[in-house]
Amino acid sequence: MLLTLAFRNLWRNRRRTLLTLSAMVVSAALLILALGVFSGMFRDMLASATEQYHGHLVLARDAYHERRDLFAHLPEEIVHQSLLADDPDIIGRSPRLRSFGLISRRESSQPVEVMGVIPRMEQQVTSLQNQIVAGRYLPADQDNAAVIGQGLARKLDVQPGDELVFVTQAADGSIGNDVLIVQGIFATGDSRHDNNLILAPLPWVQKVLVLPGRIHEVAMTLADPMRAAAVADRLNRHMPEDVTVLDWGTLLPEMREVIAAYDVSRMIIVTILYLATGLGILNTFFMSVMERTREFGILMAQGMRPWTIRSLVLLETLMLGGIALVIGIFCGAGMTFYMQQVGIDLAGYITPVTYAGGTILPRLHAVFETGNFLVPAGMLLLISLLAGFLPANRAARLDPVQAVREE
Amino acid sequence: MHRAPPVLAALLAVSSLVSSASAQQTDRLPADATPGEIVDHVDRLLRGESSRGELVMSVHTENWSRSMRMTVSSLGTDYALVRIIEPRKEAGTATLKANRDIWNYLPKVDRVIKVPPSMMGGSWMGSHITNDDLVKANHIEQDYTLRLIEESETHFVVECLPKPEAAVVWGKIVYRVLKDPRVPEQVDYYDEEMIRVREIHFSDIQQISDRIVPLRMTVLPLDKPDEQTILQYRELEYGLPLEENFFSLRNLKKR
Repeated sequence: MLLTLAFRNLWRNRRRTLLTLSAMVVSAALLILALGVFSGMFRDMLASATEQYHGHLVLARDAYHERRDLFAHLPEEIVHQSLLADDPDIIGRSPRLRSFGLISRRESSQPVEVMGVIPRMEQQVTSLQNQIVAGRYLPADQDNAAVIGQGLARKLDVQPGDELVFVTQAADGSIGNDVLIVQGIFATGDSRHDNNLILAPLPWVQKVLVLPGRIHEVAMTLADPMRAAAVADRLNRHMPEDVTVLDWGTLLPEMREVIAAYDVSRMIIVTILYLATGLGILNTFFMSVMERTREFGILMAQGMRPWTIRSLVLLETLMLGGIALVIGIFCGAGMTFYMQQVGIDLAGYITPVTYAGGTILPRLHAVFETGNFLVPAGMLLLISLLAGFLPANRAARLDPVQAVREE
Repeated sequence: MHRAPPVLAALLAVSSLVSSASAQQTDRLPADATPGEIVDHVDRLLRGESSRGELVMSVHTENWSRSMRMTVSSLGTDYALVRIIEPRKEAGTATLKANRDIWNYLPKVDRVIKVPPSMMGGSWMGSHITNDDLVKANHIEQDYTLRLIEESETHFVVECLPKPEAAVVWGKIVYRVLKDPRVPEQVDYYDEEMIRVREIHFSDIQQISDRIVPLRMTVLPLDKPDEQTILQYRELEYGLPLEENFFSLRNLKKR
């Protein structure tokens, strides 16, 4: 009975209710869209940060994590262990042997990292194969091939097809040195990699370092990057004492700060937008309660309890919030879907920005995330209740005798 | 920048000083020589001095140990050419030092590679000697203020403190020199916090023609107590007719 009454009351001043409703719908829908775009930007950044180098998880001996100890190596077979190979969360694994040394071409030489990889497996973790600007990615069958960062290529003045000499200290103390043939040049946009990184086949690096069958780390990709910390914890329970799996939050502490900043700014946007909406609702219901003073008086005189009056008004605001929510989510999801499928390309106006190791691409593009719907929805209902509380209280506290006399 | 006195060259350098001092009685320094005079004396004697020798370098680290036999030719403190003879895998690998630059020749890939400034602090041939140690051979008194802090019946102890404007890595270097024969005994290197981080010991003092020189040098990195590099001369001769053009990139590649 109360429900029907509340519903009917809502539509007594149709125009006012519709206006308030539309304000609520628009704010909810825009919020959902904005959060979706925000998440999209964040995902782009995270993807670019992890796909350039580390992946989502990195397994290595502690001495390697801490100080890149050349001698802290692992057997290559570790990557095929069922613990890693059969884990449903892990969708890519790449065994790597990393070597720091001097790369030289004619007169110029540069300190670099040469990362030995198996091309087929490395492509599951990093996306350098999509960032080749000249030549091609590492072929599967050439033992001395190399892909090299764009900045490094420029400094050494090399083109695909050129020879490079790599010199480093091998694990047996000898001077490891050999020739690499440049196959391709990649550009990630992150100067740390573009100026320092060379990918070469794993067996080649193993030979130069005199570490046959050994690797330094296994980089992994997860189906859901946000679950990285949990998956790392689970894997670490089965690891030997001196081996640790680190997640991207640990490897890229700046990215964790980005998430924290993202969460804070999300809350700020939600608060500002809903504060305005809340005031609108408050206004509407105050008006509606004032107008109905006499009516409430009569109801009370007929024996309606104050709490019933309060519930009635609260029910009205809640109902309005609920309707706004349904339409708002529907509209918001629709816009998010559009932005996810189509997006807006800003490449003509701004250039990619690299921040905290991740690159923000010049595009607006949204992703679906449950939190981006739950937060606006929950907040909208909460704000409706809060905004309804004051008018409801006022209505409940009316003195029936005076209220009835009100004109 | 790494500004250590030259380890390899130091051996040659200081030994020449010593040998001259002991061999040429007339040129002997007065007993009350200032540290600056001692160093000056070395410099003067070294200019134009040439030597050739064969040595074995044994490097012991936590993870591996190995020995290399190599020939060393030098002219003064500015030029040196080192070539590995053994192990066979690396035979022909050579290092040329000319003034402030270092080039390495790698026979396996038949390339000469100049060591860039950023790698000068790196290890030379995997030993506990850095490229800088080889290069910053001459003129320690340019960057350091020398002071005789102790003189006993048998020893001089000279302390070298960096000059305020000098770009050096060491906070202090202390030389301990035997008086008779005048050969270095020990050199201690301190970091900027005045903690001793490296010691070089000289031993196996021998007479080579008319000179008395230490033929063995032991480098001890004190932060890694189990590690050391030992340079032991097998042969050494002085006063060879070596010209500057011997120390060329062309010659570096010759086996």
